[in-house]
Amino acid sequence: MIFAVRRIALPLLLTSLALTASVRLAAGYKKPAPTLTQMDEHKRAVHALNRLTFGPRPGDVQKVMDIGIDKWIELQLNPKKIDDGALESRLAPFRTFRMDTREIVENFPPPQLIKQVMNGRQSLPSDPTRRAVYQAQIERQEQKQERKQESGKNPPDATASNAVDAPAVDAANKQARLGDEERAQRREARMFADLTVEELLNLPPDQRVKRVLKMAPEEQRILAASLKGGRGNDFMEGMSPQQKETLMALNNPQQVIVSELVQGKLLRAIYSERQLDEVMTDFWFNHFNIFIGKGPDHYMITSYERDVIRQHALGKFEDLLLATAKSPAMLFYLDNWLSIGPNSDIATGAPKNPHRGYRRHRFPNYPRRASVQKAKGKRSSGLNENYGRELMELHTLGVNGGYSQKDVTEVARVFTGWTIDQPQQGGGFKFEERMHDHGDKIVLGHRIKDNGEKEGREVLHLLAHHRATAKFICTKLAMRFVSDNPPQALVDHISQTFLKKNGDIREVLRTLFRSPEFWSSDNYRAKVKTPLEFVVSAVRATGGEVSDATPLANQLNNMGMPLYGMQPPTGYSMKAETWVNSAALLGRMNFALALSAGKLRGVQADTQPILSANPAPTDPQQVLAVMENSLLAGDISKQTHDTISKQMQVPQVTQRRLDDPARPPNLSVIEGLLVGSPEFQRR
Amino acid sequence: MPITRRVFLKNGALAVVGTAAIPAFLTRVAYSAANSATRNKRLVVIFQRGAADGLNIVVPHGEQLYYAMRPTINIPRSSVIDLDGFFGLHPSMSAFQPLWQHRHLAILHAAGSPDPTRSHFDAQDFMESGTPGMKATDDGWLNRALHSLPPPTQNSAFRAISLGPSLPRILSGNEPAVAVNNISDFGVGGKNPNATPIANTFEAMYDQSVDTVLHGTGQQTFEAVKMLKSADPAHYAPAPGANYPRGRFGDSLKQLAQLIKANLGVQVAFADIGGWDHHVNEGNTQGQIANVLHDFSQSLGALWTDLGNLAEDTVIVTMSEFGRTARENGNRGTDHGHANVMFVMGGPVKGGKVYGQWPGLNQSQLYEGRDLAVTTDFRRVLGEAVERHLGNKSLETVFPGFENPPGKFLKYLG
Repeated sequence: MIFAVRRIALPLLLTSLALTASVRLAAGYKKPAPTLTQMDEHKRAVHALNRLTFGPRPGDVQKVMDIGIDKWIELQLNPKKIDDGALESRLAPFRTFRMDTREIVENFPPPQLIKQVMNGRQSLPSDPTRRAVYQAQIERQEQKQERKQESGKNPPDATASNAVDAPAVDAANKQARLGDEERAQRREARMFADLTVEELLNLPPDQRVKRVLKMAPEEQRILAASLKGGRGNDFMEGMSPQQKETLMALNNPQQVIVSELVQGKLLRAIYSERQLDEVMTDFWFNHFNIFIGKGPDHYMITSYERDVIRQHALGKFEDLLLATAKSPAMLFYLDNWLSIGPNSDIATGAPKNPHRGYRRHRFPNYPRRASVQKAKGKRSSGLNENYGRELMELHTLGVNGGYSQKDVTEVARVFTGWTIDQPQQGGGFKFEERMHDHGDKIVLGHRIKDNGEKEGREVLHLLAHHRATAKFICTKLAMRFVSDNPPQALVDHISQTFLKKNGDIREVLRTLFRSPEFWSSDNYRAKVKTPLEFVVSAVRATGGEVSDATPLANQLNNMGMPLYGMQPPTGYSMKAETWVNSAALLGRMNFALALSAGKLRGVQADTQPILSANPAPTDPQQVLAVMENSLLAGDISKQTHDTISKQMQVPQVTQRRLDDPARPPNLSVIEGLLVGSPEFQRR
Repeated sequence: MPITRRVFLKNGALAVVGTAAIPAFLTRVAYSAANSATRNKRLVVIFQRGAADGLNIVVPHGEQLYYAMRPTINIPRSSVIDLDGFFGLHPSMSAFQPLWQHRHLAILHAAGSPDPTRSHFDAQDFMESGTPGMKATDDGWLNRALHSLPPPTQNSAFRAISLGPSLPRILSGNEPAVAVNNISDFGVGGKNPNATPIANTFEAMYDQSVDTVLHGTGQQTFEAVKMLKSADPAHYAPAPGANYPRGRFGDSLKQLAQLIKANLGVQVAFADIGGWDHHVNEGNTQGQIANVLHDFSQSLGALWTDLGNLAEDTVIVTMSEFGRTARENGNRGTDHGHANVMFVMGGPVKGGKVYGQWPGLNQSQLYEGRDLAVTTDFRRVLGEAVERHLGNKSLETVFPGFENPPGKFLKYLG
């Protein structure tokens, strides 16, 4: 065991500190408890908070003990009974959270939709704000096309390869001159924009937004370009989230969706009272991972996370599995929406009529696959096994779950026809009979009768209740909640519940939280935090007030864990070895310092919330003791404590002025050192 | 003017300068005979994550079946950069052309893992652990490759490095290895001089920590930070002509070159590039695969140029977890397959040749009737680099359970 026990009632600790600080501190350490023992009540509370939440906030440990640990866990297992009003009001400004995918596409149009409006196939919206967004995007597209045409007229390689050719030289010179002119124009436009920015900055935020909305699209574009590189933050200072959203949408509507998604995820993790629900939503999203960078998935994930993952996070596994299988986000991500059976009507060229047997018989020479493909030009037709494989390897059975390549192909055949209705417009699930592969299929030795959409449901049912699935899911849950290498007995134990209770996730967790393995002292603070867990736990522990979560998301990018940014379907690792390395550790230390020093834009995490809760100590050693208790529930090693304590005597560390001993020390450094300490990296 | 490799060779091999038609290998022999024993050899491993489509990268344009199996995504004969009348490079890879011509680039086709898995995760894991089929291996082969080497003359925290925010499986193990995400903020408190005492506190904290996992990594980290500070790699700007494409992979290789040029004692290095899993709309001469290949080959070409004469002691090997189906699927893409292509470039490489046995694309020649068959075990290729280039004679510890006698090497190293 790593951590020495040091838990003394705070007033007593402070009193003793005042007498003989160092001696008493050292005396406060006890020998590590022997392994395989269960935790005491205080540790149980800390442990429960470390595992069921994104980390304790100041005062949480006491609160859980007051409620009673078992009762608190039961409450977390039933999130609907917990009031989450404070979070709801924080999320209220993010409009995309209340929209379905179709509405998101309409309000924040992707380039394809803009092109349709330009071609007259869709009309401009009448709502003035929305209209402004569309017009700004149309302006962009037109400019892009003009640039393309220009460069098409004067191909750039004319300058390089045919330089001896006189007309080419002329053309090149002309292009260079054009370039100069254009540059001059741009310079002018920038200066003009600078003036506008100055002028606009002097207006109150409301007026500022109104003025921007009134601008011509071209003016808006120049303004946006001039706000690149940090100035945008000044410009949006004081605006409501809705106003910011409108301005961002003018510039890049797609960015609004992603930005709200990322901020929402962090705000929920930091502020939701339904912490276990958040932890499980994160767990399942990672399990059924989808990459935000894959085409339309960036506007499909909002609904996917809300209506598929969160909806079933503590429900039945089969329902969750079915919901993911039918979600446009997953159908697109793993390419199933395009998968067409080799024996489907589309592939064989049967005419559009459900009575296929009859028709096929009547038109035996109906053009077959190749000519249909030719006739339809770009239309693809054929089996895609991507989803079939990942469904078994990553979503259910696990890689050693006993399936073969043949099973992969058969499952792919089963899911042909599971597609998306108008993906570009944000449509939903559709079963397309004509894409579906006819004939029986054999999956894991079971004959699946030719039965259209129902075949898929049958296979999902089979997989959801499979022994290998129970084991695979339960191993992952135990890795998240217990340890990187969970004991086999525990996995077997909770797998039993999984199978007996029809994959009821709440029941499985309940069993897990009641198991002796969960409460074994061996597992106390045994898990290294992932970057997400680290960043969120730091903000929670320091009582941080987040007005803009984007900078926190950027920190996660640096630490190698961009939110919604895991490209392969495996999701992020939950194991220590992935996250403990030089680059990551430095990232964590720097984040800790920046956070506590208040240098992260959008996050206020000063020491006040911690210190005001206690009799305000002024001596750095007392502050250290208070903070150790508050940030780490006192679980600090003697080594770390002594190191910080000693280093605090170096003037720069707390920046106490040598010429002015009365000046209070900068306590935030202590907080930063503790958050960056080895101890805080574990939960 | 910085010394380019060519210039250096000319100056270093005075005896043979003056006759324009001297084969490159002759100048190389003249050069390496003098210095090779004393110099620092390094091995750079590049992983193409996501299963690159080897058949569209080094195209068997002499195979009619290739065109029959890929009606919409083939690379036409007229577009490939022909290598030997049978194979040709994808046209996006023109950056590799000079390396091939100067015979610094060798190609190994139909290489791969004997394990039949078509799971990205498992196959990558096996290629990084170097023990296909064995999940219990807890370290990576590139780490073990250092373990049984004689200790280096220069004790360096940068002996084994990975470019990126995390340390990959291939480098995990007993030998210290450092992950570098961004050279410019590799340290505590950035460039702020007031941060030094705070950095010292963190250093002491991790140095004395009893947390076994964090203690070791912490120590390595601070050692590396100090070394990097004194070497100041920031002033090793890319050499003229080394035009790294913008993006993560180009950035990684640019920083790798800086670390090598700063003489930090790099012996093994690792970088990866994703975006190869083209189940849908793979493209052919244009499109998804063309874009990622452009990024891939331009970045490596820039690294080669940037290293200048240091390339003489460098061997770069590329790998990907498996290849893709020989036939295109119904979505103008390809699904998970088996054998793939590996590139090897470097000073000691006998390039300008496609090594390995071509298994053919007939139905009966395909693995499980669908994929290019593996005729060269990837450990055969890597083993040669580890033994002949790094000088590690205990291959049985690097690739345990795999018979890898020098007699079986492909002999792509001179």
